[in-house]
Amino acid sequence: MDNFAIFKVSASALDAQRSRMNTIASNMANIHSTQTESGGPYKRKEVVFTTLPIGSENPSALEGVKMAQIVDSQEPFKKIHEPGHPDADKDGFVSMPNINIMEEMVNMMMALRAYDANVTTFNMSKTMFLKALEIGR
Amino acid sequence: MTEIKNIGSISVPNSLQGKTVQPEKGENFEALLKDAVNKVNTIQNEAEKAIQELSSGGDISSAVIAMEKADLSFQVMLEVRNKLLSAYEEIMRLQI
Repeated sequence: MDNFAIFKVSASALDAQRSRMNTIASNMANIHSTQTESGGPYKRKEVVFTTLPIGSENPSALEGVKMAQIVDSQEPFKKIHEPGHPDADKDGFVSMPNINIMEEMVNMMMALRAYDANVTTFNMSKTMFLKALEIGR
Repeated sequence: MTEIKNIGSISVPNSLQGKTVQPEKGENFEALLKDAVNKVNTIQNEAEKAIQELSSGGDISSAVIAMEKADLSFQVMLEVRNKLLSAYEEIMRLQI
């Protein structure tokens, strides 16, 4: 049933926002990680989204969204003076991850609001679908 | 008696003679209905699978959406069935 294609769009958006939330969670968790497997402090992760065509019509009005890739932020690391730290350089400075907690909080709120908006879209299209069943009653 | 015999000779209108309703070619209603019910069943099964996946670490949103799909397709089927039944009842009420 192609009536359900609209739900796929909402579902893809929910998935995308969840993966965004996942990266924010790992950014938050690693806000003080000075060591990583690839060496150096943790780099802030960001998600990049791309469109996901849904449905067979061309051009399609239905375009979902999917995560294209996760990129490491190229912003410089924060330097903190902490001579006793095992990862401190010879001047006593430690490179801390390039994460700003305020920025992450705002991103988290944006992810939440976007998730909310897509749930609302889903509910509205469901209401529309159910209204169609009432035609002629 | 002759009058009564004459009644038999009143001719049936030509347009009604020898006409039987031919079933339409292609998909008949029964097949269509069966197909639709099968589709609804498939969607129900998908929802059940999504719920089972949820307990083994699946995605909650996809499970909920599968359930919603199942709910909606079931309601469409129910609506068709209600319409069908009311049509049947209408025919049963016909005075002959």
